Amino acid sequence: MSDENKKKILIVDDDENLRMVLRDKLSIEGFEVLEAENGKEGLKKAFEIQPDIVLLDIMMPVMDGWEMLGKLKKDERGKKIKVMMLTVIEDTGSIARLMQDGGSGYVIKTEQSMDSIVDKVKGMLK
Amino acid sequence: MRKNIVLAEHLTISLVVLFIMLGIVFLSFSLVQNILTNPHKYFDIELSLTETQFLIVYVSLVVISVLVSYIIYLLLTLRTRMELAVLSATKSLNFSLEQFKKLYEGAPVPYLILNKKGEINESNKAALRFFGVVEEEIKGQNFFAYQPKEDLDKAEKLFQYYKSDIPINNEEIRMITKSGSVRWALISVFEMRSHKDPTHRGLATIFDITEQKKLDQAKTEFVSLASHQLRTPVATVKWYMDMLLSGNLGELSAKQEDYIKRVHGVNEEMVGLIDTLLNVSRIKIGSIEIDSKQTNVSKLVESVLTELSPQIEEKGIIIDKQYGNNLENIKSDPKLLRIVIQNLLSNAVKYTPKGGSVTIILKDSFIEKAIVVSDTGIGIPEKEQEKVFTKMFRADNVRGLSEGQGTGLGLYLVKSIIEAMGGSIQFVSKENKGSTFIIKL
Repeated sequence: MSDENKKKILIVDDDENLRMVLRDKLSIEGFEVLEAENGKEGLKKAFEIQPDIVLLDIMMPVMDGWEMLGKLKKDERGKKIKVMMLTVIEDTGSIARLMQDGGSGYVIKTEQSMDSIVDKVKGMLK
Repeated sequence: MRKNIVLAEHLTISLVVLFIMLGIVFLSFSLVQNILTNPHKYFDIELSLTETQFLIVYVSLVVISVLVSYIIYLLLTLRTRMELAVLSATKSLNFSLEQFKKLYEGAPVPYLILNKKGEINESNKAALRFFGVVEEEIKGQNFFAYQPKEDLDKAEKLFQYYKSDIPINNEEIRMITKSGSVRWALISVFEMRSHKDPTHRGLATIFDITEQKKLDQAKTEFVSLASHQLRTPVATVKWYMDMLLSGNLGELSAKQEDYIKRVHGVNEEMVGLIDTLLNVSRIKIGSIEIDSKQTNVSKLVESVLTELSPQIEEKGIIIDKQYGNNLENIKSDPKLLRIVIQNLLSNAVKYTPKGGSVTIILKDSFIEKAIVVSDTGIGIPEKEQEKVFTKMFRADNVRGLSEGQGTGLGLYLVKSIIEAMGGSIQFVSKENKGSTFIIKL
């Protein structure tokens, strides 16, 4: 697969360790992976790079995931970008809010294995 | 003072009556004496009375005159006595009124009296303090218009209740004060009507719960933060182990794979432990929210059994399902109920030796809805049974077991959840025979 055809994934998470393992796994699976460590940086990169999917953490300094999701979905440049939230908290309120705010899916970090995350990402790109 | 005038009047009348009485006694005495000493003057008969007879006549006369005077006294003082009684009753009434007024005025709870349009007629000091106003600013304002935008719908609903005479009891609503700050309040409005004054009025009380709300909020935020901070590292470990095990980074030796699998397993236990701890702290600090919806209990049991199937198969435990009519459609919180069932079933499986059995009974009758989990396990020693639902309880007879690892929080959590949902839990257990837990929903 040439670099041009590679699907682009932007990981926005303040935890460097999590970013690294996700980056390694998704790169192995053939994606082009980009990173940002908070919502503000993530938003800027998302507008610039136009990724296919944003993997977005919720609790982050500077700008949290909710704020970034809201701003991304309100902007013409971000409306069509799919967003999968990464969360450690399973609570139905958050999930309902995510769908309302325009998110396409979510991953509960402690419950999903790496392979199931890759499956979810691939499913969303179909 | 009116009372003194009436009292003086009363005494005068009494004195006059006393004089009249003395006069009657004196007159009758001299009359009798006159008759007795000189009867011919009045009668044609000869009277010869002994000393005793004379005394009897005399005493009778005195008694009659006292009685007559008393009747005169009663008649003459009727008005003044009534007036005195009224005065004394009024005084004690005024005293109680004053007491109530003081209670109302000085009570730390805001009280407001509303007219039928919901407008504030009167308010006590606490109410003025609550709204940060002086009386003139609040008088005539609608009580149901002191809400921020978010709560206007609710306020309108309560106003409708008020207008249709439905009592408002401890409704939670936000109220806005003069300075614009928003306070959480529990408001109650009761109807006040008397036979004399049949106009519709309401007595409103406000209970300021802003501080409690803030505290609750802080606790919830703390648990949510703790939950994030504790789960992130275990998620990281989990994903790194996943990567290693997937072979993406090269083949592992058998030993390496075994080690990593063990780390992975311990990490999974850690995830479970954190979940339990967080659930306990949520309940402990009262931030557990019961989200009641249609719940299928037999489905929850089945899903837990699937989860436990590796252990069940490994130990060859027979699962006896007596579902009755399944508890398929009850009102409960499925998430919380699953935690309960998960704890009870995993305990049953954990503490039942190879080849034993676990019985699950679901009972859904008119009288009660119950979940019963019974095992043929090691049981709980009698002397420890009273501590079963306490935090960190570990029975003596499980400490040596290889699978005796546990947090000691499971049953504490189960009891807390069941009680928060309004149910109850009991158990019977005999060491080396088994345990039965009964949950009534």
